[in-house]
Amino acid sequence: MNVIKFDIRSQICPATLLIALKEINSHSLQLEDGTVKLIFLTDNRDALTTIPESVANMGYSVNVTRKENFYSIEVCGGQQ
Amino acid sequence: MDDHYALIMGVCLVLGLFAGVAMYLSDFCIAGMFRDLFLLRRTVMLRYLALLVVSSMILFELARQMRLLTLYPFPLLYSPTPANLIGGFLFGTGMVLAGGCVVGTLYKMGSGSVLSATAFIGLIAGSGLYAEIHPFWASFAESTTFFRGKITIPQILGVDPLVPILAASVFGLYFIRLWSRDRKLVRLSYAKGYLQPWKAALLLSVIGLLSYAFIGMPLGVTSSYAKLSGYFGSIFFKEHIDGLAYFHALPLKYVQPFSGMRLEGGPGPVFDAISAIQFPLVAGIVLGSAASAAWLKEFNIHFGAPLRQYVSALSGGVIMGLASRMAPTCNIWHLCGGLPILAASSVLFLLGLFPGAWLGSLIFAGLVTKKGETIRMCLKEKEYVERN
Repeated sequence: MNVIKFDIRSQICPATLLIALKEINSHSLQLEDGTVKLIFLTDNRDALTTIPESVANMGYSVNVTRKENFYSIEVCGGQQ
Repeated sequence: MDDHYALIMGVCLVLGLFAGVAMYLSDFCIAGMFRDLFLLRRTVMLRYLALLVVSSMILFELARQMRLLTLYPFPLLYSPTPANLIGGFLFGTGMVLAGGCVVGTLYKMGSGSVLSATAFIGLIAGSGLYAEIHPFWASFAESTTFFRGKITIPQILGVDPLVPILAASVFGLYFIRLWSRDRKLVRLSYAKGYLQPWKAALLLSVIGLLSYAFIGMPLGVTSSYAKLSGYFGSIFFKEHIDGLAYFHALPLKYVQPFSGMRLEGGPGPVFDAISAIQFPLVAGIVLGSAASAAWLKEFNIHFGAPLRQYVSALSGGVIMGLASRMAPTCNIWHLCGGLPILAASSVLFLLGLFPGAWLGSLIFAGLVTKKGETIRMCLKEKEYVERN
């Protein structure tokens, strides 16, 4: 599986969500056939609500883990 | 320093600390509430603003009935004028571009956001810019004022505030009950130490009430930004700053409820009642947020954002600072203070905020993403939801 990481820390609100949605949309085919996993690094607390919520609405699975002083949001294909 | 000033400063610092903690933990971003309505077609965060306004409305009226509010309406509220509407419009645009309103900028800056610090510099610059146009704008506001001598809608209608406040509260509570029943007030978040925004809304309404009862007015911060512009301006252009009429105005003149002391203050670069009230509040919000971020090990100073986002933050801050003086005052003052007592100027400010936030969202989308991309992104999510 190809893992693509996006460091989108310290972005202005709500650029974090917009960038994440843009990348999810542009990789939608690869996400759906399970050949790619997207990882977003963020320190935006609001994005920890909005990105998982949007990703779930789009039918992908999401996993959020805490790192040093930021968070990692993993988006994979497949229905939840 | 006078003991009364020390007491006021202590109270405001503590209130600011609590507000900063609540705002950071819940990410209570009022700019985001309006922006998401237009940019993402989401209304969820506006529910918390409605809860904050309705709970403040009920608390203020209860306190008034118990004779805890000696100043009603509170100082620095004026009769309505189109200036409120125009100021609200510009403020709405500015807060979206800045990525936060006048207090959102503070709590985000407290957590280490360099973009919010950039917006803060813009806020000070914009407040100073207003001083240049003050004679013209004050004259416009004065000549277009209507319902002279009347500040609130109950005053305009000539009725006791209890009846319209009760009607508005019942109307608001009806919707809040529906949202609560359908669990639309609870948000799922993966953020550590997340405070549900409905709890933050209730806490902020209590903080607003304490400020009103102890200090004599609800939360407000933007006159201190004008003061800072005066202080910084005096370093480089002392003669020019001294010559500007705006910095000699003393709009705040009132008797402080608990001390009985007569206080005065204005935007000029001198220590006065505005300094004693607003600087500790600003410091409290920043420190409360910084302490929360440090406690959660989330404090982080990071410069990684693209240049165009700094341009957005700075220009948004300038517009917001200018608008906060034109309106006059800011969203916190109007939405958490004026609206709960049905001040007509606050209603006009709110009406201006919506189209302003719409314009800001449009500009923001163009700055952050390619033209039209945002709409397509949102449609894709919406289409998926409808399809399934």
